[in-house]
Amino acid sequence: MMEDNQFKVAIGPQHPALKEPISLRMTFEGEIVKDVDFRLGYNHRGVEKLAEQRTFIQNVYLMERLCGICSHSHTTCYTQGVEKLMGIEPPKRGLYIRTLIAELERIHSHLLWLGVAGHEAGFDTFFMYTWRDREVVMDILEIVSGNRVHYAMNALGGVRRDIDDQQKAKILDSLDLLKKRTDYYFNIGSTEPTFVARIAGVGKLTRQMGIDLCATGPTLRASGVPRDVRKDDPYAVYGEIPFEVCTADTCDVLGRVVVRVKELIESYKIIEFLLKNLPPGDITVKAPRRVKEGEVVSRYEAPRGENIHFIKSNGTDKPERLKVRAPTLANYPATIEMLKNGFIADIPLVFAAIDPCICCAERMIQLVDVRSQETKMISMGDLRKMPIGRHPSAASQRDAAEIWKAAFQKNGNVIF
Amino acid sequence: MLERLVRWSRIKSPWILHLNTGACNACDIEILASLMPRFDLERFGILLKATPRHADVLICTGPVTRQAKDRIIRIYEQVPEPKFVVAVGTCSLSGGVYRGAPNIMGGVDQVLPVHAYIPGCPVRPDAVIDGVVKLLKSL
Amino acid sequence: MNDQDTVQKTSEILKDKAVEITNPAPRRIFVKIDRANLLEGLRLLKENLGFSHLSTITGLDRGDDFEMLYHLANEYVSLTVRTLAPRTDPEVPSVCEVIPGAVLYEREIQDMFGVVMKNIPDPRPLLLPDGWPADQHPLRKDWKFERPPEVIPGGG
Repeated sequence: MMEDNQFKVAIGPQHPALKEPISLRMTFEGEIVKDVDFRLGYNHRGVEKLAEQRTFIQNVYLMERLCGICSHSHTTCYTQGVEKLMGIEPPKRGLYIRTLIAELERIHSHLLWLGVAGHEAGFDTFFMYTWRDREVVMDILEIVSGNRVHYAMNALGGVRRDIDDQQKAKILDSLDLLKKRTDYYFNIGSTEPTFVARIAGVGKLTRQMGIDLCATGPTLRASGVPRDVRKDDPYAVYGEIPFEVCTADTCDVLGRVVVRVKELIESYKIIEFLLKNLPPGDITVKAPRRVKEGEVVSRYEAPRGENIHFIKSNGTDKPERLKVRAPTLANYPATIEMLKNGFIADIPLVFAAIDPCICCAERMIQLVDVRSQETKMISMGDLRKMPIGRHPSAASQRDAAEIWKAAFQKNGNVIF
Repeated sequence: MLERLVRWSRIKSPWILHLNTGACNACDIEILASLMPRFDLERFGILLKATPRHADVLICTGPVTRQAKDRIIRIYEQVPEPKFVVAVGTCSLSGGVYRGAPNIMGGVDQVLPVHAYIPGCPVRPDAVIDGVVKLLKSL
Repeated sequence: MNDQDTVQKTSEILKDKAVEITNPAPRRIFVKIDRANLLEGLRLLKENLGFSHLSTITGLDRGDDFEMLYHLANEYVSLTVRTLAPRTDPEVPSVCEVIPGAVLYEREIQDMFGVVMKNIPDPRPLLLPDGWPADQHPLRKDWKFERPPEVIPGGG
């Protein structure tokens, strides 16, 4: 119900903050967000229906292209599930290489996110630095697999390419460089006063709300809940690797930055362990063409959270049902909670803090054209410039007064 | 005379608008990577702009989902003349992996007139630079 | 707490509500429940065994009936609760009272299969566009689509 001093604004689907089309409809009272509504559907490509018409092997190719940033997550989750259905077990060396690529993907995704978070907070230099270091990881991935993105390393029964000693040495060298840079980013992230002031206290998600709303991944771990599929439900070789689950207690965007940087450091340790203990042997096992009847639930810890695939087969070479639930969809209700009672200007930052991968979140079918219902369009670029001015002449003085007591205020003027 | 000046300035530094019509994001990340210090399109004067009103070149990725089709046409109409459309990635050339799905139109050229096609799944940033330079040369 | 303990505790807690409990693979338990007992069953599982995280809800079209699978998880196992709804009466109670985060998954099932969720707090379609006819449900097995021919620019 709209009162006199509330107004609705629509953002998206084309805006510069997010590289993906998504439409948000917000209700404001003054500068405070009262309600948020997502309009999903721009990224739907009908993947679940398409998967029923393709064989299991063709689906590995299709699953990879669900998402560009976490493509290995989807193929690994799928391949693990189908291997369980077939009853085959890939050899140890194959599993080690799979885990190695998974951790490399986690590193590249977190560096990407750090850059985007810096960009949303107004810190473009950080954006350029982290993406330049990301190129180091892309080079490693290209040497190992042949492509910078969509590295097609998984096959039903193992992996497709092997690692030789030269590549191992190169990976270990690059890790040294990345470790130094990550320490530098940790220092910036936690001590640089303007950056910290911009992100601390923004986007609060309490522990109980995070559990009730079924959030996953770093969004939940920043509220102090130590849930990680790699520890709860170990797959590949995570049962043998010593590592820790990274959490933070601050429940806001600063906590999410801290969790992701800690995860970067853990990933470096995991990769060193993997390379030192890589066992010799085959990398793949032959897989049958037809899959026995059965159902399997396969879970994986993608860089953004828990990725779950449900596969049901009916004895032929095409799946009966393939259900994919990517982590960003699970974080949507939590995001709505985080955006409420925050400022307009914090919207790009809070939304970027869950590391949205909208393309993963929507895979269903659309058919008919949409009639648009927007009332007003604001570009995200303008939103990002808005924190500079918090006008004393806001529409609802009574709510704003309490907020201003907490904001920076000197001599009756508002200073940001 | 003024026309020649305007045309020279457009060729020398076109401003681009990036439009994602439902892609898997790999091409989008590679386009952003081509603006980063390693490949650096910005030294040609090419800037990534936020609003359609400032752009000269529309870079489109993704198979066009039916939900996004109306929006793309509206954005295309908001870009001032002369404008160029570049289709990047296999999905925007012909639908890519999703060919056959009921809700995608199958390529940006079903909806907008395209001036340059850059294939790849995903495109390498080098290919993006090559494609943009070829488009500028043909002006 | 390993699989056997969880299976035993589940059968103690749910008593006669659970029609069948299976443990086909390590850390995977499947429980079959009638749709009338669904809400109570999930509440008991959440309060006593800590299954408060709902990963997702899968819908299956099996011809004569629809099967709903609720994938729950705690720190030790992944438990799936399955329930059936006949095709002639596709209705299942909504679980949002017990697990508030389930609302998006239920909206998706409503769009894709046409299974009505009783008492859902937000019944709008999630993924289908605004002009979609109300009786077309894409993931049903009998829903087919004929693509219109493609236009090739420049002739051909």
